[in-house]
Amino acid sequence: MQVDQTLDCKGLSCPMPIIKLSKTLKKQMKSGEVLEMIGTDPGSKTDVPAWCEKTGNTLLESKEEDGAFIFYIKKK
Amino acid sequence: MFKSGILRELFDKLFGKSWPMWLGGILLAVLNILLFVIKYPWGASGGYINIGQNIYQTLGMSNLGTSVPINLHTVAILNIIIVLGAFISSLLSKEFGIRIAPIGELVKGLLGGALMGIGATVGVGCTTGGFFTGVPALSGGALFLTLGFMIGTFAALRYLLWEMEALPNISMGKSFTFLSGNGKNMAWQRWLGWILIVIVLFIFNAYTSKNTPLMKIVGWHVIFGLILGIILQRSRYCIVRAFREPFMTGESSAPVAIIISVLVGLVGFTVIKYFGVGNAGELATRAIELKSVYPNFWLRALIGGFIFGLGMTIAGGCAVGTLWRAGEGHVKLWMSILGFLIMAPISKKFIVPGIVKILPESLRKQMYLPDYLGYTGAVILLLVILLLWYVFVKWNEKTGKCSAL
Repeated sequence: MQVDQTLDCKGLSCPMPIIKLSKTLKKQMKSGEVLEMIGTDPGSKTDVPAWCEKTGNTLLESKEEDGAFIFYIKKK
Repeated sequence: MFKSGILRELFDKLFGKSWPMWLGGILLAVLNILLFVIKYPWGASGGYINIGQNIYQTLGMSNLGTSVPINLHTVAILNIIIVLGAFISSLLSKEFGIRIAPIGELVKGLLGGALMGIGATVGVGCTTGGFFTGVPALSGGALFLTLGFMIGTFAALRYLLWEMEALPNISMGKSFTFLSGNGKNMAWQRWLGWILIVIVLFIFNAYTSKNTPLMKIVGWHVIFGLILGIILQRSRYCIVRAFREPFMTGESSAPVAIIISVLVGLVGFTVIKYFGVGNAGELATRAIELKSVYPNFWLRALIGGFIFGLGMTIAGGCAVGTLWRAGEGHVKLWMSILGFLIMAPISKKFIVPGIVKILPESLRKQMYLPDYLGYTGAVILLLVILLLWYVFVKWNEKTGKCSAL
């Protein structure tokens, strides 16, 4: 998968990951680009998909890897 | 542990995916009604104050201390076991991990906790005792605490959004994660979870085997703490979210979950208070009616609620939200606990007397709604407020008029 930008949210807890995710997608990325978001808050597992659905961005893939939660989000 | 079969399925249901927050809300409200029947409805800030005071006492600063030891203070015990219960729950669900946020976030945790310590003592109550319990307890002050929480949350959210633009470095920098449950070779975490459950049961037994009324009550708070901790962690029950989300993402699931739990609590509490459940005499019934109704109506509650709302939003967890997230391993929330413990006794000793002096008694009354509106009027008032809140969050979810993200 081609990743255009990576957002590091490791160590952060709610609500910081979602605020960062929203800001990054809105301010720094173009439509169709893919963001890789890496976080460690278990809350992200439900928060990120819910936020994507609400805002119309596409969650392409999510996985858990050695303590981290990784999401690939395509901007609307 | 169980490779397959019915028990494995049950275990995965409980500790696989998160529970919906409304389910957590109903379960917590039912437990809260039972806590009321045992002794006193749920609160959290009183426990923080007691633990903080005991720390000062141990350090030799007895002017900030207390004579009630932690192990005999039901709320303090409840708080400690909630952390333990959430720790157990996150171990079993492989969600535990020691997560050290960047230094700026840790400072925000500490400051947020300190603000909560001030707000909870000034306003007399946190989002648990003052809102989750206070509103169903038909307290007039609780409504103004709630309004204060909302305004404080809104203000602090504006700050967080501004911080992201102007001071992005605060939430960036080195972070560390240890012992994460979904890492390699972490099967021992589940075993540790089971062992800790057995230990909690031994603590329960140590209390109840003393066989005095107080020891039995504290013992049952141990069991309730375990169950509350597990429910809170599994449903990620978060009162900050309920106040913040309409203005942030616009999602309504958290506010709706909280409205449902207040409704369930309202039914149980009203019955208990109306009938004076647990006591017969006239005087005792009045005492039951006034449980969780504090002398804070209305300005005192509004000021304290505002300060508390600022704190919980900056910390990312209210008094109880801080407890279960701390159990899950978020070091930012450990700092928040520390700030709360340091500040609450100081505020109680030095800030609150000043506030009480300045505010005339009419602005800090103990206001029991049924005294003015009757039981029917009080319940109708609360139902109307909850309905308006529901309509607002649902309307806002559809239109996004008030949400920033």
